[in-house]
Amino acid sequence: MPVIGTFCVSVHKDVCINAQSPGKCATCVEVCPYGVYAIDAQGQVNVQNYNTCVGCRICAEFCPANAIRINPAESEYVSRYPWTFGQVEEIHYKSLTGGYLLRGFGTAGPLPHFDGIVVVPSQLASKSPRDKYREECRMEVVIGEDRAEKPIVLHYPIVFPAMSFGALSREAKLALAIGTAKTGIFTNTGEGGLVPEEPYYVHGYADPESKEQKWSPGGSLVIQWSTGRWGVSADYVNAGDAVEIKIGQGAKPGMGGHLLGAKVTEEVAAVRGIPVGSDALSPCRYYDVLSFEDMRKMVAFLRDVTDYKKPILMKLGPSRPYDDVRMAAEAGVDAISIDGICGGTGASPDVVTQGVGIPTIACIPPAVRALKDLGLHRKVKLIALGGIRNGLDAFKALAMGADAVGFGTAAEIAMGCRACMACHMGNCPYGITSQRPELRARLDPEEAGQRLANFVLATAEEIKILTMLSGHDDIRDLSEEDLRAVDLNTAAITGLKMIGYERRLPWWENGYGS
Amino acid sequence: MAFVLDASDQELKTVSRQLREMLNEQPVVVKNAAHLHGLAAGLKHGEVIIEGCSGDYLGVLNDGATITVKGDAGKYLADNMTRGKVLVEGEADYGAGQYCYGGTVVIKGSAGDFTATMNKGATIIVGGDVGCEAGTYMLAGELIIVGNAGANLGNYLIRGSIYVGGEWASLGHNTRLEPLSEEDVQRLKSYFAEYGIQADPRRFRKLIPLSTKPFYK
Repeated sequence: MPVIGTFCVSVHKDVCINAQSPGKCATCVEVCPYGVYAIDAQGQVNVQNYNTCVGCRICAEFCPANAIRINPAESEYVSRYPWTFGQVEEIHYKSLTGGYLLRGFGTAGPLPHFDGIVVVPSQLASKSPRDKYREECRMEVVIGEDRAEKPIVLHYPIVFPAMSFGALSREAKLALAIGTAKTGIFTNTGEGGLVPEEPYYVHGYADPESKEQKWSPGGSLVIQWSTGRWGVSADYVNAGDAVEIKIGQGAKPGMGGHLLGAKVTEEVAAVRGIPVGSDALSPCRYYDVLSFEDMRKMVAFLRDVTDYKKPILMKLGPSRPYDDVRMAAEAGVDAISIDGICGGTGASPDVVTQGVGIPTIACIPPAVRALKDLGLHRKVKLIALGGIRNGLDAFKALAMGADAVGFGTAAEIAMGCRACMACHMGNCPYGITSQRPELRARLDPEEAGQRLANFVLATAEEIKILTMLSGHDDIRDLSEEDLRAVDLNTAAITGLKMIGYERRLPWWENGYGS
Repeated sequence: MAFVLDASDQELKTVSRQLREMLNEQPVVVKNAAHLHGLAAGLKHGEVIIEGCSGDYLGVLNDGATITVKGDAGKYLADNMTRGKVLVEGEADYGAGQYCYGGTVVIKGSAGDFTATMNKGATIIVGGDVGCEAGTYMLAGELIIVGNAGANLGNYLIRGSIYVGGEWASLGHNTRLEPLSEEDVQRLKSYFAEYGIQADPRRFRKLIPLSTKPFYK
């Protein structure tokens, strides 16, 4: 719970340069955007207000003497549960301000996740394993091959899902574009309009006129079409390689967005096409869709506007995955992204982030079942999002039936984020979710883009290792047989075979819905 | 001499591709197109005349074309238009002129509920009455209603202005009356003259946001 006052800041005076020679160093004062440290008239640095520390650890990272330790104040967790320190502070915050808590970064705390699943390697009773070092493994994913004249080809089964400009800084959006270009995957504009450089950066070109690719192999850009329609025009829709219709997101399924006027700077206003300083409220639903028939018409006209060349995607929040995915597929889209409760880089009320939606591992099996029932599994691509951290989680999602996975939060962390969960405050010390020029200057798009590319390539290698040791040389051959649930809960939720029992739990054996 | 395109029993893709090919300096008349939804989407130039009624989402994302409907228009007319003109000689259904960034929508008859919702800069003129929630969440632009308006007119108006010639059932949150300036009168007068609407601009009332930073519940 990212409530003010949950971190203890300690400075080891024995090694602190300032403590030895006041005035010589004040790095922590300079880098902390929350005013935890202060410098007095004598040049001495003091921890002035550790209650404002959000635990981003930028001070510890920048401290030249390695003198700072940030520890979570969780010692009372056991003795006072459920009235933990965070809970007490939250009630105080509400009673003092009359407001509710807002935060970004998805659900915190234990929920059923991929950790309850293990991978089953190949041995005698299965196909022989493949040699990761000497044999090839097909990782490519094609979106829209049946309906779009120019399908998207992903080099790896990985995408960067929608994170908007406005929520993210311009530098972070460009870093995502560069990371995409270097790995041949796709990134998504999010609902906040298009950063002008994004389309050519994503394709690997540093300027629009250039003939030479700076970053290869070049990726794809998905344009998000959302309820607020910020900065949307025919040119915007055609600026990328595909269009995604956003229905919901893991951070706040069923809710719209709310970008406060104070954050609508000149640059954000220009991209979103609205007056500077005006509140940008994204409605929770489409005013121009009243029925499922209207949604089908929307998919049809987006195909028409893009001249039937570009794939149409749809993004769903975690609600009723079987019915939602079935309807999305029936609406005629080429790929469906489904977010789990653990997903969500967006700022939202704490109660929504924490308790609304269902976990990612519970979204995938019904979504796959819906596509199989329509005969569209592996044709309409399923992209699993929400709390996917590494190649192991990704492999598990793919084996459960997804065609690709998205790294949203993980991508932010790859850029340098330390998960302090205070994105909504606009003071991101790493310049990722801030619009303040001095903080944004800390993020170099090229460097962060390289970090993103490294992360994607390392993760792709992990997926490859796991695919090949399971006896496959194509990620499309992965199946639930390659996984086992380690506990009853996970076996019950996912329908995977349970370790020891070596079968699916009885109600899964008897068929879905029995 | 206009080109004529008969859309009877044809799919959107076929009609749309033919329409795009035909569009140049000549207007294109499309007949029997009421079954097509999203026709004339994202056009950058040219003139399209729909004989009879149109389907839903006519002129969505219009970016410069002039589209005239001789009959009635379906739902979501000129949705998310950025430039150009959409003229309807009859009436328009639910949600005309939603999400528009620019351009002009003129409906000679009446329009349905949620007209000009989230208008971000277009001029939307309704010759008759409008339904409920007209001008909801408008961020810029203007909505001109010659007749009466339904309930919750201009709900959470953030920027922009609404002109009403008749009565309204009720006003939404964050709207207030503002005296009509001489400039407003002249502008309305020129719109009415241009689009052949019989109305006296001086009897119109103007609504603007109560606050540019409204309080949301």
